[in-house]
Amino acid sequence: MLMVENLSTSIGGTPILEGLDLSVGAGEVHAIMGPNGSGKSTFAHALAGRDGYEIGGTATLDGVDLLAMDPEARAAAGLFIGFQYPVEIPGVNNMYFLRTALNSVRRARGEEEIGARDFLAVAREAMELVEMKKDFLNRSVNAGFSGGEKKRNEILQMAIMRPRLALLDETDSGLDIDALQIIAAGVNSLRSPERSVVIITHYQRLLDYIKPDVVHVLVGGRIVDSGDHTLAHYLEDHGYANFVNHDPDSAPGRPLTGTAS
Amino acid sequence: MSIQLTSNWLGTQRTGSDHRSIAPLSSKRGHAMTRTSQEINDLAEASYEYGFSTDLDTDIAPPGLTEDTVRLISAKKDEPDWLLQWRLKAFEAWQGMTEPDWAKLEIAPIDYQALSYWAAPKQKPVLDSMDDVDPEIRDMFDKLGIPLHEQKMLSNVAVDAIVDSVSVTTTFKATLAEAGVIFCSFSEAVQDHPELVREHLGSVVPVRDNYFAALNSAVFSDGSFCYIPSGVRCPMELSTYFRINSQNTGQFERTLIIAEDDAHVSYLEGCTAPQRDENQLHAAVVELVAKDRAEIKYSTVQNWYPGDENGVGGIYNFVTKRGRAHTDAKISWTQVETGSAITWKYPSVILQGDRSIGEFYSVALSSKRQQADTGSKMIHIGADTTSSIISKGISTGRGQNTYRGLVKVMRSAENARNYTQCDSLLLSSDCGAHTIPYIEVKNPTAKVEHEASTSTVGEDQLYYCRQRGMTEEDAMSMIVNGFCREVFDELPMEFAVEAQRLLSVSLEGSVG
Amino acid sequence: MTAQVATSAHSNPLDLHGADRLDDVSRPTKHDDAWRYAPHDLLARLLFGSTTATAQQAPAVAVNRIPQLDGPRIVIVNGVIDVDQSQIAALPDGLRISTFAGSATEPTDPADDVDSGFAADAFLIAIERFGSGGVAIEVTDGHHLDVPIHLVDLVAPNQTRNTPSRSAVVRLGEKSSATIVETRIGTGPVFGGLNTRTSITLESNAALEHILLQNLPETQIHLGRVEVSQHAGSTLRAHSFNLGASYGRVAYEVHLLGAGGQADLSGLYFGTGAQTLDQQITVVHSARDCTSRQSYRGVLDDESTGVFNGGIDVRPGADGTDAQQSNDNLLLSDRAEANTQPRLEILADDVACKHGATVGQLDDSALYYLRTRGITANDARRLLIDAFASQAVDNIESDAVRAWIRARIGASHA
Ligand SMILES: Nc1ncnc2c1ncn2[C@@H]1O[C@H](COP(=O)(O)OP(=O)(O)O)[C@@H](O)[C@H]1O
Ligand SMILES: [Mg+2]
Repeated sequence: MLMVENLSTSIGGTPILEGLDLSVGAGEVHAIMGPNGSGKSTFAHALAGRDGYEIGGTATLDGVDLLAMDPEARAAAGLFIGFQYPVEIPGVNNMYFLRTALNSVRRARGEEEIGARDFLAVAREAMELVEMKKDFLNRSVNAGFSGGEKKRNEILQMAIMRPRLALLDETDSGLDIDALQIIAAGVNSLRSPERSVVIITHYQRLLDYIKPDVVHVLVGGRIVDSGDHTLAHYLEDHGYANFVNHDPDSAPGRPLTGTAS
Repeated sequence: MSIQLTSNWLGTQRTGSDHRSIAPLSSKRGHAMTRTSQEINDLAEASYEYGFSTDLDTDIAPPGLTEDTVRLISAKKDEPDWLLQWRLKAFEAWQGMTEPDWAKLEIAPIDYQALSYWAAPKQKPVLDSMDDVDPEIRDMFDKLGIPLHEQKMLSNVAVDAIVDSVSVTTTFKATLAEAGVIFCSFSEAVQDHPELVREHLGSVVPVRDNYFAALNSAVFSDGSFCYIPSGVRCPMELSTYFRINSQNTGQFERTLIIAEDDAHVSYLEGCTAPQRDENQLHAAVVELVAKDRAEIKYSTVQNWYPGDENGVGGIYNFVTKRGRAHTDAKISWTQVETGSAITWKYPSVILQGDRSIGEFYSVALSSKRQQADTGSKMIHIGADTTSSIISKGISTGRGQNTYRGLVKVMRSAENARNYTQCDSLLLSSDCGAHTIPYIEVKNPTAKVEHEASTSTVGEDQLYYCRQRGMTEEDAMSMIVNGFCREVFDELPMEFAVEAQRLLSVSLEGSVG
Repeated sequence: MTAQVATSAHSNPLDLHGADRLDDVSRPTKHDDAWRYAPHDLLARLLFGSTTATAQQAPAVAVNRIPQLDGPRIVIVNGVIDVDQSQIAALPDGLRISTFAGSATEPTDPADDVDSGFAADAFLIAIERFGSGGVAIEVTDGHHLDVPIHLVDLVAPNQTRNTPSRSAVVRLGEKSSATIVETRIGTGPVFGGLNTRTSITLESNAALEHILLQNLPETQIHLGRVEVSQHAGSTLRAHSFNLGASYGRVAYEVHLLGAGGQADLSGLYFGTGAQTLDQQITVVHSARDCTSRQSYRGVLDDESTGVFNGGIDVRPGADGTDAQQSNDNLLLSDRAEANTQPRLEILADDVACKHGATVGQLDDSALYYLRTRGITANDARRLLIDAFASQAVDNIESDAVRAWIRARIGASHA
């Protein structure tokens, strides 16, 4: 489904990603882990089409070249990013925002727009999924939300948008255990053979609730290792030190626990 | 969505029964935003939609302003002598006054002698029913989306339509009369209710208040008059629709609204003008009197022709609006100013009675070469008086937007409270935003707060919306509407829809 | 802002030669925003006199009022340097102090106030026409002065020439730093005033702390203007304490001319009796990525009036501007008055500007809380007023100057 090959990204001439390869099949859940500043968010935004990046390599979703498109076209192609730092938009009603987003995507795909009443039903369902209070929809997009509420709002949006590929950037940071479980339940319920999920995280904690098929380690702008979920446990115990400081010529600094996909 | 592009604020397409006059505002929060998503998306033309002119057979006075002009206007309207004398006094005062110093405005000098001070569509002199309205005028209003025909009116809004200087029709008179509400043209009021007019005319905006108020007092031609008796809650929204049609005319209308003790009224005002190359002058005076415990809500959507990209043409909109609030009374001004080459107006409240309340909510947009200089004055005289000012200025193109306001707390105003918030949004590198508040406090128990901010639409906000699938234009429009939300929430539904639509049209081309 | 001032001066070109007071047409009026709350009747009585600078000695009664602060000191009595009272021998390395007669700058043509950068008004012109001269202070490139330079103005007016006018020109070279303290004191009871101009240039990456303490007797009028031109990367910290005079006016106009400059202005005004204390502050952002802060607080008792007219002007192209302004006023008496006009003039779109202004009285619940803890009503008031006022003092960097200012404020409002 998602094919990323030799993706490089630099900002103002400073390279951040250098030759990143990643392939995510339909229905799979992948996790990307890596130390602070290793380029995880940059990867998400390079896929989503944020301005200001110089990009090389290729990235396709269902065979469609993502990198050639505007951000909204990538969204219409089925890409959803759960932002690490969701943006506040004062005065814009959350519900209105979501419906406009959904209908924009539907319109772009030549689908019929969804009416206010039908939308409300869709939104209600999605809200139950993330156990969100009703008044949430009537507040401004992320404005004055707590950190946890913003993250829930991202999941809510994902549940409403029903993307082909959801890339969740540190959606678990700053959440207490209860919120974490709610979010995990939300993600799990959206798992389907047609939908793939990439979870960017620091902690293996979330992966206890959302079992990834593959875990990748992103260090220094490229995927340096991949394995099954036990890799996450390894990282939890040993940190990234063995990946960060290892001599490029020697073998990777951890015993092989799984096979790269 | 049921609202079409051609509809506008006077409510051809009202759905359901969500009508409210001065109902609590909180009940509709959010609706305004959700109702208009499609309209905004659908907007295609950035051009001024109301720029057509209509060939009306018009009775026009020759240009020039002398005492004789004043006498002519008064005679045309068959006015009582006291009113003529009042006009002449105003004219004398005006002659002794100097034009205001345009601190922030770039303005071509106005030749007051080149203007015509009387232009009236010729039609049957007396209107017995709506069917008597000149069909051409009716067509014109239909084109603007304002049906004057009562049968055609779906909405619960009484309309007074003013073309050039003269009120051409007032709808729903009978219904209103049942409730004891007088809603008619100013000229009719002078004939039918002279004692009311005489008592209140000039009582809030004195003749010499400022240059344009004096001019208006001398030459005003018509306007709307509205009287709500004690204890009456006006059964429908009252609305005046202003249209400048003739060339080289000034429009000088006068509005007087009197709400007796415990009376309530919500009043709407809309304005358009044809697209013309020369500047036209609009100098109106609006006076509101809210007696004890009365409430007046006055909403304006002003969309006079703004002129073109090079600043050619457009209306000079110099308006004096002021209300006097007696004990426990409330006056609330809401305005959305997207039109006019120059807007110069400061809707004000004299908070005279104890516990009276004044509010001002404003969205002013300046694009192209538009200049908006607007704000509010809140004069606290009574004890425990409260005022709030929420001003949203949007500048784009080469527009200049100025908030100018005065909050004055007199020594007598124990425990007065004011909160002012002025936010500016700058959408281009050639535009400007200016915030010039005056705050004068003479009572230590007063609490006055002023906050202002200036910002631009964040790249991150646009990107976030686009990641969710919206186009850049839609995202921009949505964010700007969000910026104005607190003000739009104050507008009656039709106006809110119209206001958002106008804003989106004016913003076209602001992206990128 | 300045446009109005300029316009009025503009339409009435001044010819003041031979005159010793500014004639009515040339003076600003209450229609000029910058002079809206000034006592125009008193301003009309100021006599500027003609330019005959003669050495003058501080009157004996005043000498012991000259503040003692470590470091170089320049004492100016009625506009003329008093060498005996000054300490300008053995200056630290990198510091040059000289004096000049007349005006340090070309007379300002009121017509081109935009070009010269700073707004012209009648009193500036009085300095240029009648000024007795002044002092030039220069810190050479790369030098850091660790003691403050103290500039003391002492006014002892006489009947024929009651308003001395003087200038000071300050230049901090690249990467230099210094602290300058300006103190204004006087002797009563004769009516008079002081009219000063301090023109400061901060070369790139220079850092200046400027402190102005205005404590003239309440028979006098204080017209003090400070003009600052800041080049790239320079830093200004200015703190004014506007305490004395019947009309105490402190005007700062700061131009951020080079990228990355920072201007941090704060002030306290503390009015009693029938004083009017007027702060006229403008920060002009003409270059990219500059930061400015204005933070002014007023405490107004008796029948005093506080005025704050503060502007942020962001000129076209000054992208990346980050400017904030606040003005808070405490009214302690029912005859006191606060007038505040926080202005924003924004002509660039990539800016973040904010301002806020408040007028209020002491917080009743805080007073109550303190009193439940056994503090008397009076002490509680004092405590809260001090807390409100101390922000401006706390901002002073130099420990010595801060302690000294604190003592001065305490003394004048015991
Ligand atoms: N807009 C930017 N300009 C310059 N450097 C940036 C920018 N955004 C991110 N970076 C740098 O790129 C690197 C990767 O950042 P990021 O992708 O946010 O890391 P992660 O999400 O893995 O913590 C960091 O060194 C960060 O400082
Ligand atoms: Mg990150």
